[in-house]
Amino acid sequence: MEERVPHRSKREADTEALRLVYRELKEAGRTAEAHDALNRLVELQPTGGTAAFAHRERGKLGELGGRPVRIAILSSYVLDPLVPFLDVECRRAGLMPAFYVAPFNQYTQDVLNPASGLYAFGPEVAFIALDVEDLFPGIRLVPTGNELSGSRAKVRATIAGLVHELRARSNTLIVVYELAFSGWSPHGILDNRRGDGLSRWIEDVNREVAEDLSAQAHTFLMPLRQVLARVGGAQEQNRKLYYMARMRHGDGALRELARYSMRYVKPLKGLTRKCVVVDLDGTLWGGVVGEVGPEGIQLGPTAPGIEYVDFQEALLNLTKRGILLAICSKNNPNDVWPVLREHKHMVLREEHFAAVRINWHNKAENVREIAEELNIALDSLVFLDDNPVERELIRQMLPQVLTVELPRDASQYRAMLESLTDFELLALTKEDEQRASQYQANRQRQALERASGSLDAYLRSLEIRAEIARAAAHHVPRVVQMLNKTNQFNTTTRRYQTPEIERLLASPDHRVYVLEVADRFGEHGLVGSAIVCREGGTWRIDNVLLSCRVMGLSVETVFLKHISEAARLHDVARLVGEFIPSAKNEPTADFYRRHGFQLASDADGVQSWIFDPRRDRIEDPTWISVKTSGE
Amino acid sequence: MPTVEDVVSSVFGVNRESLNEGSSPESVEGWDSMGHMNLVAALEQRFNVSIDIDDVMQMANVGEIRQILAAYGVRG
Repeated sequence: MEERVPHRSKREADTEALRLVYRELKEAGRTAEAHDALNRLVELQPTGGTAAFAHRERGKLGELGGRPVRIAILSSYVLDPLVPFLDVECRRAGLMPAFYVAPFNQYTQDVLNPASGLYAFGPEVAFIALDVEDLFPGIRLVPTGNELSGSRAKVRATIAGLVHELRARSNTLIVVYELAFSGWSPHGILDNRRGDGLSRWIEDVNREVAEDLSAQAHTFLMPLRQVLARVGGAQEQNRKLYYMARMRHGDGALRELARYSMRYVKPLKGLTRKCVVVDLDGTLWGGVVGEVGPEGIQLGPTAPGIEYVDFQEALLNLTKRGILLAICSKNNPNDVWPVLREHKHMVLREEHFAAVRINWHNKAENVREIAEELNIALDSLVFLDDNPVERELIRQMLPQVLTVELPRDASQYRAMLESLTDFELLALTKEDEQRASQYQANRQRQALERASGSLDAYLRSLEIRAEIARAAAHHVPRVVQMLNKTNQFNTTTRRYQTPEIERLLASPDHRVYVLEVADRFGEHGLVGSAIVCREGGTWRIDNVLLSCRVMGLSVETVFLKHISEAARLHDVARLVGEFIPSAKNEPTADFYRRHGFQLASDADGVQSWIFDPRRDRIEDPTWISVKTSGE
Repeated sequence: MPTVEDVVSSVFGVNRESLNEGSSPESVEGWDSMGHMNLVAALEQRFNVSIDIDDVMQMANVGEIRQILAAYGVRG
């Protein structure tokens, strides 16, 4: 949420002070803090000038490291000033961005020419921003019905053609800005009554473009009008910028566009957060339940109380796309459970929470435990708490967690949650929709584990079933999702996007395997994938990954065994497993060794482990029943 | 009220002391054509004026900006 704007001179003074702080940090060589000061500077003074200053300074500071991301902008107008704003948003997300902006009005040539600067740059995300006035100049002059229908087909074909050509030459994620008409219709209030009204025309074109784009993999339509509506008319219609510099967006719009852009960039780079940890008193409801009792809290259909219902609904919506919820509350459990189970107006119930910590322990400890219980990294958590002391504690103790500055006013909670750009998915898979119930089943598994005498007895009693198959088209969204967000059990952390995986599926020299796992408590879904490349008489295992949900069950053993058996069937003499150590894949480091592979080489950060499928065998875990289809 | 130097220093992140009447795109880092648009936006906001396009194009250095603003009744 926007913070309240303080008196201008105060803000100016703060900005100037922060600039001085920045200079000191820069001169002292404190690079990380200097980068952070630049982030805060732009947040404090989000103008084009300050963003451009920060962007220039990055080049002078040493780089911090962090995952690189390559972003291209193709536009029919001058969109270069978006770059500094995008830069700061990427830095805030821990990314190291590189940018390419197509030369003015050369986006078409750039896309059509395989030797263009665009392809030399090699974008991972390409934003295509075409203004309706540039595509159809006649729109400003009361176009006739014929002109409108002709232009409608032309505009649609222009965009579809551009996307088609770009897709043919690049695996980039493509994000097209929807069309927006700035200004009033020349028909006035009659516009919506006419068949040739402009608002209807824009709706039609956008709908058609959306249809075209949704038929293309890895391609999105950005809801530009919604984004601009957050800014207000005066900013987005800064005509002077257009007359003088062919710019279409003022500072406020650029900042919103940059923020919204991160909704595409973050999931692409695997930065989607997986779990929201919420406090209870003052966060999910008003008042302190331990003091006022379940009937005394603010929660219901009227104010005060309706704002908390609204907020809970937004949290519930997140679970529908696979985001987990967890409770971290300082309370007596006996005070809280009646609310969670019986309060008439609670939207969120016990079954919506994948982990629960209601106690008087230190919250940092509780949050760390929640991450362990769910087997997810701290950097995939979001922490929501109305108490600034708790927030500061988490910020200090667990900086990887995204601690959100919850507004003081609960009526802003929902808007704040919805403005976060950390919960986006490039595709919704069955696994996402079922995630919350899968964690419920996990709790039953943990209860069984505690009741079982030994690990062996526990694994046997789980009745694990593994199903291994060659990947088909319908597996692609989930495979791509896992490739981009799995960090722990990931042998090479090579990230591939949809177009690349689709190509591998069609290639005679590549095999993509998928692993699905179920047990007596339910389905884990698609939890493993492997990419194998045939290179002469060798099969090279380019990547194996496994969802953290099924680590420790030995399903990776039956998966690798299946690959080795397939290699044996094809009389392959050398099966090579590659391993690239990363900051997070330590749990995978001995994957090939413990399955009988021998380290053959270790060069340029890539280990090669070899296995002779004709001679070597992998021992099957006896507690897993395996079903395979296709070698 | 801020001065023209205040605004130029804030927009381009340069020391105010390093600025003088002759400071211009040649001497101030970041004062390119995009930077000029950012500067104009900041001047308009800080001095609460709307500057004509031909005036925007005349603003070649700090001194000229001050003169032009004077014609709008602004003492920068």
